[in-house]
Amino acid sequence: MILQIAWKNIWRNKKRSLIIITATALGLWGGVFSNAVMIGMWESTIDAAINRELSHIQVHHPKFKDEKLLKDYIPNSDLIFSLIKNENDVKSVSRRVIIEGMILSPTSTSGVEIVGINPIIEKNVTEIHNRILEGSYFKDRRNNSILIGERLAKRLKVKLNSKVVLSFQGLEESLVSAAFRIVGIFKTESTVFDETNVFVLQDDILQLIGNSSVFHEIAIRARSIEKIDTVKSYLSIKFSNLSVESWRELAPEFGLTQDMLYLELNIFIGIILFALLFGITNTIMMSVFERARELGVLLAIGMKRIRLFIMIVIESILLSFTGGAIGTLLAFLTIQIFSFYGLNFSAFTEGFSMYGVPAIFYPELPLHMYIFLGIMITFTAIAAAFYPALKAIKLNPAAAIRTY
Amino acid sequence: MSLIEIQGLNKIYDETTVSVHALKRIDLIINKGEFTAIVGPSGSGKTTLLNMIGGLDKPTSGKVLINEKEISTFKPDELIDFRLKNIGFVFQAFNLIPVLTAKENIEFIMLLQKVSKEEREKRAFELLNAVGLSDKINNRPSELSGGQQQRVAVARALASKPSFVLADEPTANLDSETAESLLDLMEKLNHEYQMTFVFSTHDAKVIKRARRVVTLEDGKIKSDIYQNEKSRINS
Ligand SMILES: Nc1ncnc2c1ncn2[C@@H]1O[C@H](COP(=O)(O)OP(=O)(O)O)[C@@H](O)[C@H]1O
Ligand SMILES: [Mg+2]
Repeated sequence: MILQIAWKNIWRNKKRSLIIITATALGLWGGVFSNAVMIGMWESTIDAAINRELSHIQVHHPKFKDEKLLKDYIPNSDLIFSLIKNENDVKSVSRRVIIEGMILSPTSTSGVEIVGINPIIEKNVTEIHNRILEGSYFKDRRNNSILIGERLAKRLKVKLNSKVVLSFQGLEESLVSAAFRIVGIFKTESTVFDETNVFVLQDDILQLIGNSSVFHEIAIRARSIEKIDTVKSYLSIKFSNLSVESWRELAPEFGLTQDMLYLELNIFIGIILFALLFGITNTIMMSVFERARELGVLLAIGMKRIRLFIMIVIESILLSFTGGAIGTLLAFLTIQIFSFYGLNFSAFTEGFSMYGVPAIFYPELPLHMYIFLGIMITFTAIAAAFYPALKAIKLNPAAAIRTY
Repeated sequence: MSLIEIQGLNKIYDETTVSVHALKRIDLIINKGEFTAIVGPSGSGKTTLLNMIGGLDKPTSGKVLINEKEISTFKPDELIDFRLKNIGFVFQAFNLIPVLTAKENIEFIMLLQKVSKEEREKRAFELLNAVGLSDKINNRPSELSGGQQQRVAVARALASKPSFVLADEPTANLDSETAESLLDLMEKLNHEYQMTFVFSTHDAKVIKRARRVVTLEDGKIKSDIYQNEKSRINS
C-alpha cells in the first residue's frame, strides 16, 4: 500500500514530476547513447587494428622491439612457424619480414616499415587484401611488386605502376637498394598506417637480404577472442626465449584497457546523475513542504517515522526510475537502430582516421552497463530523497497540523 | 476508573520574543465511556490541551497519564506507537490521505497496525456502514463533502480500536445541520461501543450535546459540569 500511495503521490503535481522525469529521461538517453557510441568506436577501432596489422598474437625476437634491427630476427623460424601452425586453438599464422627503411620517389623520400609477406598466407591473418583502392593485391606475382598506402602515394607524388626505390641497411651493414613497381594502392581506417607501411613479396625481400630465413614476426589468429589468452600463455611457455604478446600489449595506443573505458563511461553517467540529483531533491523537497500538514497527520495517527522516511525514498525511486526507464529505453532503441544500420561518421573521417577509427561503426552497450546504470539510478534516488525525508520525519505533528 | 489523568499540567510556548503560558496548572480526570466537550473561546488552550492528551506535544511541567502510564516519559517512536494503539484522532479538517479512497483511508491505519487484509476489509465496510457512507466506499476525499470527510475521519479513528477518540473542533468547518449529524454519529458510537470521546468546540449547539463540559479560559479550567442526560434522550 505504501508503494501505491507513493506512486499516486508523485502524480499529485503532474507538471513538476513530468519536468524532472523528462530531464532524467533526456539526460540518461544522451549519456547512455553516447557511451554506446564510445564503446562501439573503441571496439571497432581495435577490430580494425587487429584486422589490419595486429592479428591476435605476435611472436618476435625479444630484442626486435627495441630498435627493429634487421639482425634481430626469429631464430629457427621455419620450425617455430610449423609448430605454432599445428597448435590446437590457432586458426591461422603468417610470417613477416619487417625492415625499417626508406622509400624514394623521383620527387620525395619517406621513412617506412617494409613488410615482406606471403600474400596467400597473409590473407588468412589480416585484411589488407580487402583494402585495395587501385590496382590489385599482388595478382600477377611479378618480381619487385609493392603495395603502398594512398597517403604515402600522395606524399611521394606517385601513381599505380610508378617506380619507387626501397633502401635499407642490410645484414652486413651495407646499404641495400632496389626498384619496385607499385601494383596496388591501399587505404585503411588509419592514415598513420597508410603513410608508414608498404607491403612487398617475401621472396623478393629475402633475396635482397641474401638470407632466406630472416623472419621478424609471426602473426597468429586464435580460433576465437576467448582463446587468445590461453594460446598466448601456452606459447610463451613453449618459446620462453622469444617475446609473445597479445594485441593488447602490441597496441599501446589502446593504452586504456576495456575495464578502464567502462569505468570512465560510468563516471560520465555518474556526473549526469549527480546533476539530476539536485533536481530530484528539489522536487521531493517541494512536495514534502506542500504536504507538511498531511505528513503531520500521518505521524499523529501513528505512522512510524521509519515508514514515512521509506515512503518518501520510494517516491524518489519511482520518480527517478520512471525517468530512468524512459531514458534507458530510448537509448536502448537508438542503440539497436544504429547498431543495425551503423553510425556513419564519414563527414569527420579525416579527423578520426588519424586515430584509426573506421568511418562506419556500430554503437553497443554491454548488459552489465545497463545493470550498473540501474544500481546508480537507485543510489541517486535514495541520495536525493535523504534530506527531504529527514525533514519530513523531523516534523512536529502538533505544529504541522496547526500551522498548515 | 480513570482513563485519562492530568496532574498539574503547565504548557509554556517559548518563542524567541514572547512566551505564552497556554495551560496553567490543569488537573483533570476523564473516565472510560465519557462524552466530554472541552470548550472555551479561541486561544483559551483547547488545542494545546488536546495535543497534550494525545501525546502530540510535550508538557512544560506536570503529568499526563493514559491508562495509568505517563506518556511524557516515552521516546518519540514509542509515543508514535502508543498513539497508534491507544488514540483515535479527528482533526478540524483535511484528516485524510487525498490519494486514497474512503475505504483505503480506513484500511491504512489498520495496515500500520499490521491487521490482516481480510480483517481490514471487513472492519472498513462495517465502519463505513456505521457512519452511513457505505455508498462512498471508493470515493476519494476530494469527491466527498466536508461532513462526509469528517465521518470517514471518525471511522478511521475507530478502526484502530483505540481507548478513546480525541477530536479537535471536528465540526468547526461544517454547517450546523451537518455538525448535528456528526454529533449524532459520535453519540451513537459512544453509546453502542462505549467509546470515550473528548472533543473541543466553541459552538453552543455542539456544547449542548455533551454530557460533560470542561470550560477553559485563559489556560485554566473555569468550570467542569456534568449536564443531565435529558439532551441525549431527546435527540
Ligand atoms: N506553537 C505555538 N507557539 C506559540 N504560541 C502558541 C502556539 N500554539 C498555541 N499558542 C498560543 O497558545 C494559546 C492557546 O492556543 P490554542 O491551544 O490553540 O487555543 P484554542 O485551541 O483554544 O484556540 C494561544 O494564545 C496561542 O496563541
Ligand atoms: Mg484550537
